[in-house]
Amino acid sequence: MHPIRLIRTSSFRLTLLYAGLFIASVLVLFAMTYWFATQHAAQDEINEIGAEFVSIQDEAAVAGDNRLPMIIEDHLRRRADVRPVYLLENAAGDKLAGNIDAMPQKLGPMVLDLMLGGEFHEVRAHGYSLPGAGYLLIGQDTPVLREMEELIFRTFGFGIAITLLLAVLGGVIVSNSMLRRVEAVSRTAQAIVGHDLSQRVPMRGTDDEFDHLAASVNGMLGRIEDLMRSIRQVSNDIAHDLRTPLTRLRQKLEHARRRATTVEELQDALDGSIAQMDAILETFGALLRIAQIEAGGRAAPVAAIDVSKLLAGIVEDFSPVAEDQGQSLVATIDAGLTVCGDPELLTQMIINLVDNAIRHSPKGARITVQAKLAGEKLELAVADTGPGIPPHERENVLRPFYRLDASRTTEGSGLGLSLVAAIVKRHHATLSLADNQPGLRVAVVFKGAA
Amino acid sequence: MRILVVEDDAETAAYLVGGLKEEGHAVSCSANGRDGLFAATTENFDLLIVDRMLPGLDGLTLVKTLRASRIETPVLFLTTMSGIDDRVTGLNAGGDDYLVKPFAFAELIARVNALGRRPRGTSAESYFRVADLELDLLGRVVKRAGHVIALQPREFRLLEYLMRHAGQVVTRTMLLDNVWNYHFDPRTNVVESHLSRLRTKIDKGFTPELIQTVRGAGYCLRAPD
Repeated sequence: MHPIRLIRTSSFRLTLLYAGLFIASVLVLFAMTYWFATQHAAQDEINEIGAEFVSIQDEAAVAGDNRLPMIIEDHLRRRADVRPVYLLENAAGDKLAGNIDAMPQKLGPMVLDLMLGGEFHEVRAHGYSLPGAGYLLIGQDTPVLREMEELIFRTFGFGIAITLLLAVLGGVIVSNSMLRRVEAVSRTAQAIVGHDLSQRVPMRGTDDEFDHLAASVNGMLGRIEDLMRSIRQVSNDIAHDLRTPLTRLRQKLEHARRRATTVEELQDALDGSIAQMDAILETFGALLRIAQIEAGGRAAPVAAIDVSKLLAGIVEDFSPVAEDQGQSLVATIDAGLTVCGDPELLTQMIINLVDNAIRHSPKGARITVQAKLAGEKLELAVADTGPGIPPHERENVLRPFYRLDASRTTEGSGLGLSLVAAIVKRHHATLSLADNQPGLRVAVVFKGAA
Repeated sequence: MRILVVEDDAETAAYLVGGLKEEGHAVSCSANGRDGLFAATTENFDLLIVDRMLPGLDGLTLVKTLRASRIETPVLFLTTMSGIDDRVTGLNAGGDDYLVKPFAFAELIARVNALGRRPRGTSAESYFRVADLELDLLGRVVKRAGHVIALQPREFRLLEYLMRHAGQVVTRTMLLDNVWNYHFDPRTNVVESHLSRLRTKIDKGFTPELIQTVRGAGYCLRAPD
């Protein structure tokens, strides 16, 4: 990946921010450790210097003040390990003993910059005035304190370096892997723009947010692909299925033009043509209606409909029709069932199903309109004892214009069940075709009763 | 009847005007909504036939404006829009009937006659009589030659509609629209089945036969002259 792009990613920037915060906290920790550790060591030195002064005074008290230079020389030798600094001056400011040059007689605690062993050192010291009007400076430059300071600096130096390294490395890895997955989605989208709708965003099976995103995107793509396919299929079917009746219409008109000799014959031919035309227009009407329902132009009314009453009315209206065909139409409808929906569409849905049952069932068939609660769900069904639909055809018959061979000769546009399917979908219900043993049972299950 | 046709498509307008004139109506025609509104407000018509989609002023607004100025001439909407809601919006705007193009001319004529002869505001009538057939809406009783005839509820409504339009041709679609309230074609013979049962009940064994089939158009309830 291009480094500039990497730096521009939000995940990398986020990682840097975290690294910055982390380093800042490390620095605070360092400062506090350093402060407390050196404070403690300095206090130790001050105490030691105090003890040293007391010990020198004690020795002088025993040996006499004039022995002081010798005592100091002796201490210098004995305490070489702590790099001591001594300076003894008389009241006039002349150096009597010690390992540094004479200097003004400053009292109290101080920090001196001294040249020791060829390099400058900061030395903690204390100036005392002696009872015999002299001046004594005691100091020490403990290597332990110096070493400890160095150790603290080195440790934190390494720590910060490693933290920084880890932060940058982590940022690169995290943003790289995230970017790669975003990149995959983007590549898929580009392929789709390039007209390959079969592309899908790869999934890792890690069930993380990226997998969820990929799953949603893939779901959306699947739906779009289905829609595209069905649009292609429908346009194809429309072209085919309208060609046939239009061809017949044309033949009829041409035949009449050539053969009809009397006005009556011509009128008959025209009547036939108009009927043919009406059938074609009806197909168009059904297609339009399906399109309108699918487009959802009509807001689904929120009102609860008494489906029991609606179904009972339909059964009452259509039982004479069934009787005329030598069939019987009966209802097994539980009372007081309601559902949220569009009464006109639901009426048309049930009528289409009843109509199908009547038209595709033979004389003597029994058609049942059912409505019941199955748990929380409301099930409406139309069952017949007709020839039924073989299992492998059940999916197909929902497609526009699809007709079973057995029903090719039956009148109809082949759009009835497509319309039912559209209405079912509009109501977020599910449609299922099953064996009624014998016959067909079409059930519509609504998610919840109103 | 004096009829105003407001239709912008010249061919359709000519077809409508010609056909209605043949039926013996006096027909005027406007090619856009503004002219149509002007004509409808300045002249007296028995019926307006208004296309929903018009240049200038659309049919819906035209009828709303008319109704707002208390002109209650019956309106028949013509439309190519067969949307489920279109019919409802059309009727709510003040239209009295709604016909989707393309339509059979017989259908138009039947609806024109039904609208034109309907005196507005008298639908509260509750007693109808044709020859010796009586229908009493309040008592929900039907009698033929004095004999009470038992009808199913749907048959009763069917007969009521036929009697309200006695002497007029009513089409299958008009019956579906008004008696069944189905605004789509159920394809099965629901109208025919009920009508044949109604016929058996009120005509069988009586003379003359009152429910007549008008070939290529629909049905008509009338006493033969």
